[in-house]
Amino acid sequence: MTTTLIGPNLSFIRRAFLRNKDRSRLRRERRARRQLRENTWRDYAVLSIPYLWMLLFFLLPFLIIFKISLSVTEIAIPPYSPLVTFEEGAMQIILHLENYTSIFYDEDWTYLRSYLKSVEVAGFATLFCLLIGYPIAWALSTCRSTWRNVFFMLVIMPSWTSFVVRIYAWMTILKKNGLINDVLIAMGIIDEPIQLLQTDFAVYIGIVYCYLPYMVLPLFSALMKVDYTLVEAASDLGCRPIRNFFTTLVPQTKNGIVAGAMLVFIPAMGEYVIPELLGGKGSILIGRILWQEFFNNRDWPLASAVSITMLAILVIPIIWFYKIQRREEKA
Amino acid sequence: MIDSNQEAAPTSAPAATTTKSHLPGQLPGQTLSPQQRKRRPILQIKKLTKQFEAFTAVDSVDLTLYEGEIFALLGSSGCGKSTLLRMLAGFETPTSGSILLDGEELIGVPPYKRPVNMMFQSYALFPYMTVKQNIAFGLKQERLPRAEIEERVQKMLRLVHMEDYTERRPFQLSGGQRQRVALARSLAKEPRVLLLDEPMGALDKKLRERMRLELVDIINSVGVTCLMVTHDQEEAMTMADRIAIMDRGEFIQIGGPRELYENPNCRFSAEFIGSVNIFDCTLKSSNKTQSLIQAADFPNDIELAHDIDLADGMPLTIALRPEKIYISKERPQESTNWCEGTVDNIAYLGDISIYYVTLPNKRIVSSTLPNVDRFKVGLPTWDDHVFLSWDPESCIALTF
Amino acid sequence: MQESKRSAAIARWVILGITLTFLYLPILTLMVYSFNESKMVTVWTEFSLKWYAALFSDSAIIRALGISLTIAVLSSAAAVVIGTLAAFALVRIRSFPGESAFVLFMTAPMVLPEVVTGLALLLLFVTLGDLIPIFGDRGMLTIWIAHVTFCSAYTTVVIRSRLVELDVSIEEAAMDLGAGPIKVFFAVILPAIMPAEVAAALLSFTMSMDDLVITSFIAGPDSTTLPMLIFSSVRRGLSPEINALATIIIMVAAIGTFCAWLSMTRRQRRREADERKANQEKMAELALSHARNH
Repeated sequence: MTTTLIGPNLSFIRRAFLRNKDRSRLRRERRARRQLRENTWRDYAVLSIPYLWMLLFFLLPFLIIFKISLSVTEIAIPPYSPLVTFEEGAMQIILHLENYTSIFYDEDWTYLRSYLKSVEVAGFATLFCLLIGYPIAWALSTCRSTWRNVFFMLVIMPSWTSFVVRIYAWMTILKKNGLINDVLIAMGIIDEPIQLLQTDFAVYIGIVYCYLPYMVLPLFSALMKVDYTLVEAASDLGCRPIRNFFTTLVPQTKNGIVAGAMLVFIPAMGEYVIPELLGGKGSILIGRILWQEFFNNRDWPLASAVSITMLAILVIPIIWFYKIQRREEKA
Repeated sequence: MIDSNQEAAPTSAPAATTTKSHLPGQLPGQTLSPQQRKRRPILQIKKLTKQFEAFTAVDSVDLTLYEGEIFALLGSSGCGKSTLLRMLAGFETPTSGSILLDGEELIGVPPYKRPVNMMFQSYALFPYMTVKQNIAFGLKQERLPRAEIEERVQKMLRLVHMEDYTERRPFQLSGGQRQRVALARSLAKEPRVLLLDEPMGALDKKLRERMRLELVDIINSVGVTCLMVTHDQEEAMTMADRIAIMDRGEFIQIGGPRELYENPNCRFSAEFIGSVNIFDCTLKSSNKTQSLIQAADFPNDIELAHDIDLADGMPLTIALRPEKIYISKERPQESTNWCEGTVDNIAYLGDISIYYVTLPNKRIVSSTLPNVDRFKVGLPTWDDHVFLSWDPESCIALTF
Repeated sequence: MQESKRSAAIARWVILGITLTFLYLPILTLMVYSFNESKMVTVWTEFSLKWYAALFSDSAIIRALGISLTIAVLSSAAAVVIGTLAAFALVRIRSFPGESAFVLFMTAPMVLPEVVTGLALLLLFVTLGDLIPIFGDRGMLTIWIAHVTFCSAYTTVVIRSRLVELDVSIEEAAMDLGAGPIKVFFAVILPAIMPAEVAAALLSFTMSMDDLVITSFIAGPDSTTLPMLIFSSVRRGLSPEINALATIIIMVAAIGTFCAWLSMTRRQRRREADERKANQEKMAELALSHARNH
């Protein structure tokens, strides 16, 4: 996935940085005004351009992908069988379900295993991001404001550089004779280089490194809004620090936690570049399978079925994220 | 509900009936001067209604505005006053009715073509433009020659005393200055009617008093007709020539500040402006010079010096302003217009004290006493047995 | 209390220190080795700029850079326009058929795995290619369309979050003063949301510059973008030339970030100065009304 899941975050961040008593009033007024409006042809003209664009280039592709997932591969251009055929005046609609059956009833369970593996990797990576990101977001949000701007920019900066470059940087570090092995040998911890590249460890490192900002940003903006008097009140009433954290801070930052987790989990599920460059032969994640079916085996219908199945898995997290987004907008 | 046209041009002669000076429309100092009566109507609103789905925000309202007056729509939030204002500016389309400005229909004219201008509650100054650019904005839309724009902007700046701030941006101004710039901007186009939406709403409390008078001075010096919307009765009373009390989309009463206070036409008006003691009563007897009224809360009768157009034995309401109730420790001589009780509480507000007196039936009546003397002794204090009395003219008989 | 504040401050610095090390160590090693004489990426021999020289004479890289820049500029321009229209519609239009679906379309591209989006768009172009030939040959046009589509989602969010906080009465005031709807947009709304427009454009630009997976699906043989080129050469193994290219990319990003930070602090400082001025005026005003009251 690319650099920039920063987009949705930018709105979170704006709100965190520019807190102002007027803002919520202005938003409220804007919403109230919207409720009372009568739409004009001009409004629909404005709407129609993005609406049609999105219908044509976002909704339609998914309908097509679904259609093609119901055909089989053929040596032709395009390389799949037509869904609807006319022969001797008879219209035939053939819906092939082979692709889906082969995903679920594969002899060595390749697809199911890689789906599970993807969920596992994305899930653990999300957890690591949360565990690492929460303290960072806390540290950022409680900094003095001048320092906060500086650190904030420093944390974001790597994600403005190229994604592949960042993975590449880790490849040089994790190599057999890379920085980490060199340092470990120099310290006498190990005698000869250990295999770091092409392991699951490297994949986790890669995902955490690349996706950390997307976890930190929503957490940061949630933490900026936290009412710390609640924390003080709880501790005044005798609540111990760890308990206090879970009873006062976590509920207040719940939206940030969910948004951050979704921003990491969903794209990490379909990650292709990181397992390809850092992972070993064993880390056959579903994104890689899809890529291989498409580019190497040229089995477009199967690739389509794989991505439709992936979408089915991701529907719940995506809707969840969407709900959080809408709630944030309304708040 | 009320036809405002009658209010503006009272029919009966005021001078002859000084004895009944407290009757509606005939208060001294309240009647319109001949000069005022000659004024011609500028804006006529007829049967104006605005419905939002099931909710009626403005309900068949009639109103006539006269040249050069300042008119205030007074009501609590959600009473429809802002909707009415926004319909005049053109931001809402009325469901039915008509708005005539100088005899021409305004409905259907888009806001940017109406000869009315509005000063917004938040002032709505363009944040990235200087004071000067803000004031010139409306004139530029008219494509006036540059020299004329410059001249009129300078005139406006002088009018609102902002000549030294031409190059400032709105964020660099204080609340009062922003307000003056907003006023100058809306006056620059020389509108036929100036609309003010909660003009003091965004100001600090301390500033409001001064800005009210300053605003009225500026508006009067230009001579523009002005319609303002406010929820602050003090603001309406100090600034406006006439006020309409609005509730649930309807006008309850229209009149001058003094008339509304001294002669409310119903319980809602009486309670809306100032504080008031309300007594539920029945009419005992009524003739040309005297009416006797039995209150539910105390034994003595209430006596009025005029007749009440109601059958004997019918219920009515008597409203008494707290400052018109005398409080004393001695029993009054008369047999009517007083009651007795014990002082329950005293609120000392500095300039005045409010006494809360409990009548024998536990009803609480408030009465205010100006603190004229710094160390006056002998004033009633907590738990004292006191007598409350009033003049017959002070009672307001309400049949609604 | 004092004690816990001290320990919180220490914890803060430790966390930020570790974070920055984690984030910057890989980047810094990468940059250091770009100045290495040796072809071995990990063994330091001596300082040299030869990989930069090699980079600038590599016509494939220059060509890929040109393609990437062209697409990035064009797609960020289009994405800003579409995002502005979409944000405008979402903020004002009361309700319209398919509103929540529209919002979902505008959110989903931000999170969907890129392999799925890429495949879907490719199959769209293949299908459309039968009907409309220009979609048939995959190249700059199709890449541009794909980039505009996913960038629009971001630009919409960014512009919308600014637009909802724009005082409604400013628009009404402009209209009240005689400006028609189009004039209101260009004279009043657009200047007010300009910072968001710039941010959205920059965001789309970097995203378009950086996109690898979606582009790989859609790109034809003649339209290799820079990330695709880097990816294929990285897959073949480490090369110091890529280090040099990466260093340049990082430097550009760093300079960009620095400028963004600079403008942010400058704006903040100006806002503070404005507030101070306004406060002074307020004090003077209060003093004046105090004097008048007495």
